[in-house]
Amino acid sequence: MRVVIAEDSVLLREGLTRLLEDGGVTTVAAVGDGPALVAAVEEHRPDLAVVDVRMPPSHTDEGLRAALEVRARRPGFPILVLSQYVEERYATELIGGGASAVGYLLKERIADVAEFFDAVRRVAGGGTVIDPDVVVQLLSRRRLPRERLTARENEVLALMAEGRSNGAISARMVISEGAVEKHISSIFQKLELDPAPDDHRRVLAVLAFLGH
Amino acid sequence: MTAEVRLPLRERVPFGRWGPLRVAADPATWRAVPYLLGSMVLGGCYFVGLAFAIPVSVAFIVVWVGLPLLVVTMFLWRGAAMVERRLVRWSFGVELPDPYRPRPGRGFWNHVGWLFRDPATWKDLGYLLLLFPVGLVEFVASVLFWSVSIGLIVGPIAVVLDGEWLSVGDFRVDTMIEAVPVTILGIALLFTGLYAIRGLAWLHGALARLLLGTDETTLLAARADRLRASRARGVDAAENERRRIERDLHDGAQQRLLAVALDLGRAQAKMDAEPEVARQLLASAHAGTKAAIAELRDLARGIYPAILTDRGLDAALSSLAARAPVRVDVSVEITDRPPPAVESIAYFIVAESLTNMAKHAAATEARVHVSRQDLRVVVEVADNGLGGAVAVAGGGLAGLADRAATIDGILTVDSPPGGPTLVRAELPCTW
Repeated sequence: MRVVIAEDSVLLREGLTRLLEDGGVTTVAAVGDGPALVAAVEEHRPDLAVVDVRMPPSHTDEGLRAALEVRARRPGFPILVLSQYVEERYATELIGGGASAVGYLLKERIADVAEFFDAVRRVAGGGTVIDPDVVVQLLSRRRLPRERLTARENEVLALMAEGRSNGAISARMVISEGAVEKHISSIFQKLELDPAPDDHRRVLAVLAFLGH
Repeated sequence: MTAEVRLPLRERVPFGRWGPLRVAADPATWRAVPYLLGSMVLGGCYFVGLAFAIPVSVAFIVVWVGLPLLVVTMFLWRGAAMVERRLVRWSFGVELPDPYRPRPGRGFWNHVGWLFRDPATWKDLGYLLLLFPVGLVEFVASVLFWSVSIGLIVGPIAVVLDGEWLSVGDFRVDTMIEAVPVTILGIALLFTGLYAIRGLAWLHGALARLLLGTDETTLLAARADRLRASRARGVDAAENERRRIERDLHDGAQQRLLAVALDLGRAQAKMDAEPEVARQLLASAHAGTKAAIAELRDLARGIYPAILTDRGLDAALSSLAARAPVRVDVSVEITDRPPPAVESIAYFIVAESLTNMAKHAAATEARVHVSRQDLRVVVEVADNGLGGAVAVAGGGLAGLADRAATIDGILTVDSPPGGPTLVRAELPCTW
């Protein structure tokens, strides 16, 4: 797999490159600001871009804007955004441009190597990865029909919103896939959502429900 | 979420800000009308009352009973002036805070001295006495204007009803053709008159400001005192904040990183001899680092939330609300972003209020509302908790009030025992 990294801290850029290398992922370019990211993606045509939100010159949301620009030029291009803080607003903006092949994670998640590679692979494969913290932010704000969900169903909903597949949810919760499916259909029914088979469409449905 | 703001009628009429339609559609014009017509009656009453009460009181001063009478009269005219202030505010939109000096302690002579020495007492008297002649002029002008313009406008109806409407010597208006220009003249006069009404309103407002208002020097001195005090408290608050940050860094992240370094050092030493222990130490160091990162992140967010700079109050407050333990409804109804200092103070007022609520109020839900009123940003945080919150010096609420005061803002806490609690801040946004 070939990736482009956009991260302004040299230390982290090097670390990230080495970390990816350990997992057999080649970094074809490592850049330090938004325009360079857009150019690097155009030039190298990588499989994925890993982007930090905060970059020069404004040190606010440069990375996010560059990511959106890349996605506007090449719809569906896989991007994994890393952020010092997770904000549901950023997540919503990112997903607003199409929920497939998008990831939004707290920066420190890269310290959990296995999970990070899982996220990289899921995003590169067209999936959606949302940081559990964002999901918590979203879930904590919406209360209404969620009170009708059981504790188990709530847990499934949170994992679903993070972009996990049925298999991953069943492994995480140590229950059978059949049980997961049963929970999910019950959740969709209680929240009056259309059951969507596709993974990222499912995330979209959940986030759309949580986000308004 | 910025709601679409629907402009009032007066903002949507053609011919611009000072155009005739704007003046006609502006409620300020019509609010002035009743006062301009009626002030003569009020003025007459004041005039007669004062012209009777003052000489009588003065005449009786030799037999002592006059002085209490005069004091009562003074209280009465100050009361009348207070009524006038409210009338003037409603009619002309002129804000006139009561200008009186603070009331002294007990004692008849104290009160006499207070009444006599306060220039506001005498300015009130001046206004009340002037109101009669001024009101008379306003009344005559208003009546003339309304009767002539309406008379001209309804001309055609009179022609239809009577066949003749106006005759001045040889000049007669008795057909529709002749009546129409007269009506147009009447309409033109009406619009001109509306400008005259605004002019009169402005003049009367200026007079009221002069005689019923606080004089500029007193206002400025009071404001300077307030700002000086709040600046001092603001500096203290900033110092306290730095001390708190230092403590948090020292007790939190620094200790954690130290523990990590220790684990790593031990792991290094045991790498060959006891690889299993070394692995556990590495795992512990890994966990410790992540905890330190999380702590530093929370600390940094507490110092200044990045999202506030990036996306403004709405996003920052939503994020804050999401992290609160109870449901918090956030509505931000401002279209333009206020200056950074105002945004930051508004944010921290909400943050502190929500923290307090979580700690003490036992509330189950809260509401955050941010709106703009004229040149102020109004922040309200309400919860349904136990209430009883008070701003103790050095406490969180007092610190917020100090912070608000550094930009001349005002923070009020309404929290009766038993609840609910409402924290409200008004922050000037032309800061």
